[in-house]
Amino acid sequence: MSAAQTDTEKAAGTSDGGSTEEAVNIIMIGMAGSGKTTLMQRINAYLHERKTAPYIVNLDPAVSKVPFQANIDIRDTVDYKQVMTEYNLGPNGGILTSLNLFTTKLDQVMDIVDKRAGDHKYFLYDTPGQIEIFTWSASGAIISNTLAATRPTVVVYVVDTPRTASPATFMSNMMYACSILYKTQLPFVLAFNKTDVVSHEFALRWMEDFEQFQQALMRQEEERFMNSLIHSMSLVLDEFYNNLRVVGVSAMTGQGMDEFFKKIQEAVTEYHDEFKPTLQRQIEQKQAAEREQKAEQLKQLMQDLSVTEGKEVDL
Amino acid sequence: MGPAGSGKSTYCQTIMQHCEAAKRRVHLVNLDPAAERFEYPPSVDIRELITLEDVMDELGYGPNGGLIYCFEFLMENLDWLEDQLGDYEDDYLILDCPGQIELYTHIPIMRQVAHLLQQWNFQVVGVYCLESQFVEDTSKYFAGVMSATSAMGMLEIPHINVMTKMDLVSKELRDKMERYFDPDPLLLADDANKSTDNRFHELNQAIATLIDEFSMVRFLPLNIRDEDSVAYILSHADNAIQWGEDQEPKEPDDDVEEADRSD
Repeated sequence: MSAAQTDTEKAAGTSDGGSTEEAVNIIMIGMAGSGKTTLMQRINAYLHERKTAPYIVNLDPAVSKVPFQANIDIRDTVDYKQVMTEYNLGPNGGILTSLNLFTTKLDQVMDIVDKRAGDHKYFLYDTPGQIEIFTWSASGAIISNTLAATRPTVVVYVVDTPRTASPATFMSNMMYACSILYKTQLPFVLAFNKTDVVSHEFALRWMEDFEQFQQALMRQEEERFMNSLIHSMSLVLDEFYNNLRVVGVSAMTGQGMDEFFKKIQEAVTEYHDEFKPTLQRQIEQKQAAEREQKAEQLKQLMQDLSVTEGKEVDL
Repeated sequence: MGPAGSGKSTYCQTIMQHCEAAKRRVHLVNLDPAAERFEYPPSVDIRELITLEDVMDELGYGPNGGLIYCFEFLMENLDWLEDQLGDYEDDYLILDCPGQIELYTHIPIMRQVAHLLQQWNFQVVGVYCLESQFVEDTSKYFAGVMSATSAMGMLEIPHINVMTKMDLVSKELRDKMERYFDPDPLLLADDANKSTDNRFHELNQAIATLIDEFSMVRFLPLNIRDEDSVAYILSHADNAIQWGEDQEPKEPDDDVEEADRSD
């Protein structure tokens, strides 16, 4: 643990933050039932044991009770059931609208969080149970972009290992994870949860040996027209695996937590090496475009002035 | 099929309207236990069998658990579905499905439904809807392609991907999006490389190749206010079904016609 701390201190030295230990945002994303919230609690307990208590933000408006004490809870700002009745929405619409309403207050939330940035190293964000409400919504995008701009941010994609044990399900799940990677473009940690029930060895094997995976898949599928699509899809996945780190954990037993934090640190380094420069570049491009636009407008104004200079202007 | 809010139900209603005007018989089958209301009442409705509200109230499940329970219930009561669909054997059916991706990945329910439909002698095509407003640049487009393929790839049915709400997109963006509808893989990969950092470049190339090799993963634009746009989508769906039919040796069917690209 002390080795990790020195690394962070070094990293903090190179960043423009003044704090001794650089804070990290961790966004927990996963399909319904993958164990996100349970894993959050495990992470919470682990960090408490090591005297680096995390700052927890709950973004799931529909959860009935959470096993941890959240510092900021969307349910304090928005009443999901009331939203449903007031706007005449179904459960999905209710969750989405609750998240939207919360996002309108995001800058206030960020202010509060930023004030605590010096006191905590890890900021954990639990997302709504229905993954698409976060991944394919404007609010979800706004939240992850805003977080990514404040401090190193890592996406943890939680996988329900026992449920993902068939090649077809594995492929679907990985493709979906890939789509999230493209949406957020943030460093990615794939956390195979529930390893106490089923080990994630099969996943590691499939990810390392693409041919083994294909064989496992082809054995299931007998339709010939699907096979070439599956082949190409697995080529895409093969590349995808190069862009992420993998860890097997069990929220129930706590196994894999040391490894988990190692991967988080690696992801933070990636954030600094890759994401931040790209973000900088994008900001600079945007600023350059704005400057250009202003220069254009000024030029136009000067032209208009020079035309009327010295003459009487009819009003 | 598609994420919540992508315009699936609107798509169904639009197709219903279009077919009605063209005097083509089409029936709506609602498979979303959480659906609210319909302009065109469904001919078959899962809510007659079970509703999400009931499950949540009576069994105390949350929205996710409840939805999964509804589908597991459907799986145990397939004879009900078979019965309901029996009246519409030779007709065109549109099935409005729930959004939750978990039903397409983790739980093989939708896959089972698709298989059963085929077993009951229906030709099936999947339509995956995604909102145009999220596709601001090529990396978001790639995210859309991956998301669609994740849901549809394992269903083992021919499918088309539809980019909905094109009527809400600015002209400027619409022009930019042209390259997604008629993609050139080299340009796409190049474009993606510009908006992402280096570690993505190999992956961008792989996805561009996928898009190039399989037209199924491309998106078709839909502007519901434009009759031609709707007709275009419908003809693509028809072609996909035809193509599915061609896999069956017993159908000595007509020539597959190329759909005209309407502008």
